[in-house]
Amino acid sequence: MKNVRIWFKKIGTARFISHLDLNRCMLRAIHKAKIPLWYTQGFNPHAFITFALPLSLGIAGERESMDIRLEDTELTREELISRLNAALPDDIPVFDATEPVMKPGEIAYASFIMELETENICAEEAVSRIKGMLEQENIIVPKHTKSGIVDLDIKPFLRKTEIAPKTGLIEIQTVLPAGSNMNVNPLLICDAIKTYLKLDFYADIKRTNLYNADFQIFV
Amino acid sequence: MITKKIEKMLANVQKPGRYVGGELNSIVKNPDQVDVRFAFCFPDVYEVGMSHLGMKILYSQLNTLPYVWCERVFAPWMDMEEQMRKNNVPLYALESGDSIAGFDFIAFTLQYELSFTNVLNMLDLAGIPLKASDRHGLSPLVVAGGPCTCNSEPLADFFDLFFIGEGEEMDCEVIELYRRYKKENRSKEEFLIAAAQIPGVYVPSLYDVTYNDNGTIKAILPKCGAPEKIRKRVMIDMDKSYFPDKFVVPYIGIVHDRAVAEVLRGCIRGCRFCQAGFLYRPFREKSVAVIDKQCHDLCDNTGYDEISLSSLSTSDYSRINELLNQLLTWTKEEKTGVSLPSLRVDNFSTELMSKIKSVRRSGLTFAPEAGTQRLRDVINKNVTEEELLKTVKTAFKGGWTTIKLYFMIGLPTETMDDVAGIAELGQKVVDAFYENPDKPKGKSVKVTVSASSFVPKPFTPFQWEPQDTIETLHRKQRHLVSSVRTRKVEPNYHDADVSFLEAVFARGDRRLCNVLLEAHKIGCKMDGWQDCFSLAKWLEAFRKCGIDPAFYANRRRSFDEVLPWDHIDCGVKKSFLIEECKRAYANQTTPNCREQCSSCGAACFKGGICVEKRPNLV
Ligand code: SF4
Repeated sequence: MKNVRIWFKKIGTARFISHLDLNRCMLRAIHKAKIPLWYTQGFNPHAFITFALPLSLGIAGERESMDIRLEDTELTREELISRLNAALPDDIPVFDATEPVMKPGEIAYASFIMELETENICAEEAVSRIKGMLEQENIIVPKHTKSGIVDLDIKPFLRKTEIAPKTGLIEIQTVLPAGSNMNVNPLLICDAIKTYLKLDFYADIKRTNLYNADFQIFV
Repeated sequence: MITKKIEKMLANVQKPGRYVGGELNSIVKNPDQVDVRFAFCFPDVYEVGMSHLGMKILYSQLNTLPYVWCERVFAPWMDMEEQMRKNNVPLYALESGDSIAGFDFIAFTLQYELSFTNVLNMLDLAGIPLKASDRHGLSPLVVAGGPCTCNSEPLADFFDLFFIGEGEEMDCEVIELYRRYKKENRSKEEFLIAAAQIPGVYVPSLYDVTYNDNGTIKAILPKCGAPEKIRKRVMIDMDKSYFPDKFVVPYIGIVHDRAVAEVLRGCIRGCRFCQAGFLYRPFREKSVAVIDKQCHDLCDNTGYDEISLSSLSTSDYSRINELLNQLLTWTKEEKTGVSLPSLRVDNFSTELMSKIKSVRRSGLTFAPEAGTQRLRDVINKNVTEEELLKTVKTAFKGGWTTIKLYFMIGLPTETMDDVAGIAELGQKVVDAFYENPDKPKGKSVKVTVSASSFVPKPFTPFQWEPQDTIETLHRKQRHLVSSVRTRKVEPNYHDADVSFLEAVFARGDRRLCNVLLEAHKIGCKMDGWQDCFSLAKWLEAFRKCGIDPAFYANRRRSFDEVLPWDHIDCGVKKSFLIEECKRAYANQTTPNCREQCSSCGAACFKGGICVEKRPNLV
């Protein structure tokens, strides 16, 4: 058996499905592609499938990954990729398959590009107001946690956040804590802009990459 | 492709995956290269509509025609509807994201009466005039198929034409005719008159209905050369009938999320309450080889690891063991499960059980339908208590410990003793569990007895029967609950209000079109969803229109009354239904089609079991 990390995108229509749906979709695709998954022995055999880091519904992913364990197989990397692509919807394209180097547990940061489209206010004006907000001492937003809603100050997490107007839109590039220890959803930034600045906008968000604690790209 | 405008709304709705399309095997064509845009509309939410086999068949089949692009449309849930209305986004088709108002065909499938308000709401959301008489151009044509078209009178004002019976051939013939008339720039009237000549096509505007003083129908008169009777279309050779080799595989979970093989159409039984049992006659089977190939293709093309063998009564398939053996030759290796959705009490064998179990096991359900032998004879449910107990004992031996039994209350001739009989039968099943010497150790048994309310339907021997009033149904429901004496039997029942409305529309006539319109105006929609249904609103609509719903639900018709659906011919003769109704009152059963032909009339289709040789029964 061997472990393989499958790299894919979750874009277009696929942005609107939950992690649970994605999981089912992948299992079905693997079944359809007749990929020889390795199953645990015993009474209730099951396969190993682990996603590096689930993505919130509504957010696109440019470099998502899933680890699977295969039986010993002649299947080449190219064949694996093309078989999976034939079994997946167009908006979940697989672009690579590699040997896993880092463990998903090492993931500490994720980078995002957010494009905000405001109504009633021009992008430049909005950018300067958001910049103003980012200078504040603290930026408090309500965050859903296991123990209910708590107030979270996201200011300390926004050090790697850049904002600029871009062809009529507001582009925010940010790197946020991600993973099992601390996770800051980029939607919290949207919430902050909405509550502090009373701005109404539509946000198109994509996750572009994952990193370990030393800011090395997740491979 | 959904537009940016649609995307923006999705941030504010639950389950946005319902509204985006893009699923595996969905079909995208170039709109410039097709002549006919066809919107296949299912008047319920995505998860329900996507589970429907008929839609999958016709979607794939229509898209095999290079000049047609058939797309899917479902009813948006309230939150999405609110967004669409607020943002002026008209109802769109999932594949293209295009508004369906510009399509050539807006086709609905009518599966249950409770979806009728959703039909109107969807037309309204699409910005299409609701009444056929307010739509003057050739397109869009608003059409419908599905079982409810056997009495589509309550919808007659809204539709241009109905497909009666099975659509595989007829739909294509109508589309072809339309394509020609469109090229020739002909009018809608010309098209409809010509379409009415296609067998199975019912154009309601070509029929005048007159009424007697007592409110019953006097006559249904065709005009412009439309046929006096519209005979349903039937696919006689099931092996040659189109079946898709792939399904659209949804992103999100749906009600029936698996591959479905259609093993047969029709039913050999003649349960007297069951509309499908008469409507889909004659009984026609596919061959083992064809079903096997269709299952394999579907699994290969979808990735599903479960196959459901679907039909009205799959265990009546004459070669069920042979089929299961054939499927097992590859399903085991491919880790694919086989399930039978409907099991019968009388032919559930250990062998059958072991084969389903070897792949996957689901809960066991049986439908004795009535609590006493007398009443089971009345409804021609040829199942004896002995058979039921034998079957559950087999199941208990096989390790099952929960069993669900389906019944109906409000059946013709029913007494309170029959109602109590439901609880007693449940008790006997519990007793059978404890009498079983090798019952699973330390396990308890649970028997659910579920009672729905009888709804008299067109084209059944009970089409003349009054439905019990809501009060009577409530009394019977209470009697059922108080007749249960142990916690191991769990009674439950359906909302009688809902069954009442179903009964009104199932046997309604054209005068109900106004009620439907009124109900739509006051916000009735998603009536099939318990939280949405409001009888009070409906009664208000009836009152406003000056129509008494009890006239439709609770009135006994005489055999010589002209029924709203008398111009529709499903093969089964009215004289046969009358005979069956009389036999019901005499507690007499009728043999099933495999035992003996009872000359119901469906032999006019010259196929299926009607022409098969019967084995000599001893
Ligand atoms: S004609 Fe006879 S065999 Fe055919 S459906 Fe009717 S009763 Fe059954």
